[in-house]
Amino acid sequence: MSETVVVAGTYLISYGLIVAYAVYLHIRRRRAER
Amino acid sequence: MTRVRALMALAAVAVGIGLWFALTAPPDALQGEYSRLLGIHPPSMWVAFIAFGVTALGSIMWLIKKTERWDRLASASVEVGVIFTAIGLFTGMVWGQAVWGTPWDWQDPRLMSTAVMFFVYLGYIALRNAIDDPKIRARRSAILGAVAVVQVPLVYFSVNLFRTLHQTQSLRPDGSTMPDEMLLAMLVNMGAFMILYAALMVARIEVARIETAATPARALAGEAVRPPRLDEIEDV
Repeated sequence: MSETVVVAGTYLISYGLIVAYAVYLHIRRRRAER
Repeated sequence: MTRVRALMALAAVAVGIGLWFALTAPPDALQGEYSRLLGIHPPSMWVAFIAFGVTALGSIMWLIKKTERWDRLASASVEVGVIFTAIGLFTGMVWGQAVWGTPWDWQDPRLMSTAVMFFVYLGYIALRNAIDDPKIRARRSAILGAVAVVQVPLVYFSVNLFRTLHQTQSLRPDGSTMPDEMLLAMLVNMGAFMILYAALMVARIEVARIETAATPARALAGEAVRPPRLDEIEDV
């Protein structure tokens, strides 16, 4: 695998985790507001 | 909600700028493209250290003041800190595979102390989920949050105290060990991650506040039991 693909994938997974957490917080908030 | 959205938008812009700096910095002569991980690995670990420091502050303040907001601050910061530690560990393993030839070394003090720190704060989250009573939960997690922070300097200085695969700090009192472009990319990303941390913290604290307000005060066992009204019983 090329260096660029590995680095890009690492960034993508890391930012993906943060986005997933932000979405989880959003869903939890919506559920609590109901 | 508007405040959370505004902060999230600001964080997205800051992370975008950080990403641009990380991707346009010149690659390292030996590490090649892998040196671009400088834009995510150190910033995520720094933010994790700050997050656990904030947890300790919130925990100590709860032990002094006993007010709910300090408990919310401490517990929110652990959750966000754990996310950033997970990212730090993951990106470190990818980087390790590239430059050391192995993603993990079970005898390495820096790697192992970081992993222990990660699991201790996961334990903090598990502890909170295991206790229903808000007061007991706040007290026990405050004690753990105040004590667990000793790991932060231990992890940070492990590269100076022990022999480890991990390099020593790039930023030192006498200057930096890297070219200005790389240093700038790292610092910009650290700033972006701090904004991201602030945005996630505000969102997490808001969730905790709404959940607390929405939860009805639960009757504890025994509260429904009333003493017998002996004065109302006529003698037989």
